[in-house]
Amino acid sequence: MRSVYRALAGLIAIGVLVQAMAIALAWFTVIKDVDDGSVFSENSDANVGHMIHTIVGSGIIPLLAILLLIISFFAKVEGGVKWALYVFGLVVLQFGLAVASFGAPVVGALHGLNAFALLAVAGMAARRAAGPAPAAESPATATGATT
Amino acid sequence: MRSPSRRALVAVVATLVVLAPIGFFWQRSLIPNDLSPMTMGYADYGGGPASAHHGTDVSRLTGPVDQTPDVAVDLVAREERFDIPGRGPMDGYTLNHTSPGPRIVAKQGDLVQVTLRNENVADGITLHWHGVDVPNAEDGVAGVTQDAIPPGKSFVYRFVAKDAGTYWYHSHQVSHEQVQKGMYGVLIVQPTAADVIAAVHTYDKVRTVNGEYGERRVRAPGPIARVRLINTDNGPMAIWVDGASYKVVAVDGTEVNAPTEVSGKAVLVTAGGRVDLEIPTVKAVRIGLGGGPTTLVIGDGDAPTGGEPRDRVDLLSYGAAKPLGFDPVKATRAFRYDIGRRIGFFDGKPGLWWTINGHQYPDVPMFVVSEGDIVRMTIKNTSGQVHPMHLHGHHVVVLSRDGVRATGSPWWTDSLNVEDKETYEVAFVADNPGIWMDHCHNLPHAAQGLVTHLMYTGVTTPHHLGGSPNNQPE
Ligand SMILES: [Cu+2]
Repeated sequence: MRSVYRALAGLIAIGVLVQAMAIALAWFTVIKDVDDGSVFSENSDANVGHMIHTIVGSGIIPLLAILLLIISFFAKVEGGVKWALYVFGLVVLQFGLAVASFGAPVVGALHGLNAFALLAVAGMAARRAAGPAPAAESPATATGATT
Repeated sequence: MRSPSRRALVAVVATLVVLAPIGFFWQRSLIPNDLSPMTMGYADYGGGPASAHHGTDVSRLTGPVDQTPDVAVDLVAREERFDIPGRGPMDGYTLNHTSPGPRIVAKQGDLVQVTLRNENVADGITLHWHGVDVPNAEDGVAGVTQDAIPPGKSFVYRFVAKDAGTYWYHSHQVSHEQVQKGMYGVLIVQPTAADVIAAVHTYDKVRTVNGEYGERRVRAPGPIARVRLINTDNGPMAIWVDGASYKVVAVDGTEVNAPTEVSGKAVLVTAGGRVDLEIPTVKAVRIGLGGGPTTLVIGDGDAPTGGEPRDRVDLLSYGAAKPLGFDPVKATRAFRYDIGRRIGFFDGKPGLWWTINGHQYPDVPMFVVSEGDIVRMTIKNTSGQVHPMHLHGHHVVVLSRDGVRATGSPWWTDSLNVEDKETYEVAFVADNPGIWMDHCHNLPHAAQGLVTHLMYTGVTTPHHLGGSPNNQPE
């Protein structure tokens, strides 16, 4: 269970990196398209970068955050539930900031900043589950902790 | 320290607390694969009498059956590669091997007959006559007025072109894909010798006019041209004229009363909407089409190149008022159409989704009217994005915008650009029985659930959304 916790937290951190790459890809693609005589407007379909950002941001990362929270109830990671909740909260905040940014683009800067917070917190959560279960635990619980 | 079993129990309960609400909302958002337009959502009677639905089947609400057509057109739809002059090949949909399809031209009062055959479009097809108030069975909406036409099959549309004006036609089956990839064409009722047609369409980011990319040129039809602008795209388009002043002589097929001369202003063409301009063409003029490389030059020689003017013609006060022909104060039903957006699931997909009066598709209001009703509708948009609202089978007249009364020529429209934070009040007479889509004409938005319908008491449809013909109007 600890290793699952660690893997999920790590995947969320990687997801944040993918998001940064996807959104950069999206907007550089738009710039190139416009140079080539395309129009970019309400009519434009999302390009590959936009699509990845939407799928990972509204689907995959929230799903991972929910799984991390559930696993945290079972895995014996010290402060594991607390850190999973931090991750979950920042994911919700990130989604909310994205929503608000469509109406007020300046909020988009916070969306970018919050991504770093999420990356850091997901990394810390992963680190808490690294190595063997804490020695402070009683033998009974420690046996169940290694998965 | 808690016992291991107690700890496991707490963990299981906590898991349920997290999963139960998510599972509930996910499950509730799933759209059944077979949905009758008669029973979906909930009835909204707009303060008028409630009544049950039984009576005429939409398939009986056809155009004239026996008469010989004045205009007969055969169209064959294909999924294939075609050429965009000035740009190159494009994969999409054609009618008679072209996109846009053949221009259909009729005189006022003509009986138009279109025989549509589906050669190889796997999803099935239909054609909808955008802006033409046809009888309901001819409206071409898959799952509401007919079943999608499968490959190898045909369907015959017949209607009388009773109102002169600029119209267009397009598929209303998987329309967010089929229209964008080319299944559309121009329909003109009562053409004039001065006509210049400018149908603007964006194929996968390539904006074209009459299916061609870049600076396109046409001969001046005379000293004055009547330019019929058609926006077949999903978003609004500002158009302007470099090199001359102009008059807006018609909007969505209705003539403007006492149009005044406009210079240094753009005019907005709603997605799905049409605007006719009268332009002096003694010298060459250029029509700017929303910016970008595609423009239309009318006449020989150099035409000036300008940018989009900042000011816009406001149709709320353009031209001179005249009687509407009915009294909106005597409305027998009043509806609201509030467009919002919220976080949640749509057919199981998490994201941000449109709402109508706070409800998500398919749990949306069905606006119920009876023939002869005078109907008022307040369309309010707080969703953060612009929506081009399109009611089938009727034209509505704008009464006010954000509380400011309309004072210009009666603004009759079938495609109304409702910006974020705008509220329009419109009215119409319920004079065309049937079941009529009332939806956003940004077709991807419609596919995301910004769609409902107006239904007349005493009319029923046997068709279903989904089902075995796989009807997907959007
Ligand atoms: Cu819309």
